[in-house]
Amino acid sequence: MPALEHILVVNAILFAIGAMGVLTRRNAVLILLSVELMLNAVSLNMVAFAVYGQVDFGNITGIVFAFFIIVIAAAEVALALGIVVRTFRNRATANVDEVNLLKW
Amino acid sequence: MEDGVTATQVVFWILAVVMLVSAIGVVTAGNIVYAALFFIAALAGVAGIYLILTVEFIALVQLLVYGSAVVILILFALMLTRARERPQALFGRSRPLGIAAALGLLAALIGAIVATTWSTPETSAAIQPVGLQAIGDAIFTIWIVPFIIVGVLLSIALDGAIMLASPDEDDN
Repeated sequence: MPALEHILVVNAILFAIGAMGVLTRRNAVLILLSVELMLNAVSLNMVAFAVYGQVDFGNITGIVFAFFIIVIAAAEVALALGIVVRTFRNRATANVDEVNLLKW
Repeated sequence: MEDGVTATQVVFWILAVVMLVSAIGVVTAGNIVYAALFFIAALAGVAGIYLILTVEFIALVQLLVYGSAVVILILFALMLTRARERPQALFGRSRPLGIAAALGLLAALIGAIVATTWSTPETSAAIQPVGLQAIGDAIFTIWIVPFIIVGVLLSIALDGAIMLASPDEDDN
């Protein structure tokens, strides 16, 4: 088995790459892809902690949380893509910096 | 097991490199369809690391839900919303700032990981593989209420997505 620190460092790099995508991309769907990368890093972390026995609730809780994260990510993707398709129909763009209807 | 590099570790590092390179491809690819294809490779790498961590159930869910359903949804959305009339820049104006912020986040995370003392088991034999039956028992006894709630949430979210994406009655 790889050491826990190595898994955590790999997940941190994956999380940072996802954050970079969120901060640099313009297309809403590509930003969503980057958010999914960050979610994957987090759920991988939870599974790693559960398998290596870092939590007191027994071996299972982190794995169940990873399962719930995957389910909620599926719901989130469906809703977000619905919003993107609707925005594209109304505004003819999927770039988040061109959808500037809300201003103050 | 603790001396030298085991085969599991070699496979882990190969999967990690594939996953991270694909992830970099997702956030830097110049073509949005290439980005989606890199995303599939990154998800497959994550599923392989789940297998290395002996949770084959999560690996299967990952491949079934992420690798197929989510990716197909995303490909549909990419192709439905591609702005064909003009070549669009894929990166915002604040790209150097975003890269710097991500690198700062990475430095903070790795610093925290290195600075922490982890009380991991001494030997790999102390790590018990988590069986499918144990996961099922946990989900359907301890976590049954969150499980039901998340099921209701998923169906509501999918209904909402259909309502959002379907055309209005008074369109056209």
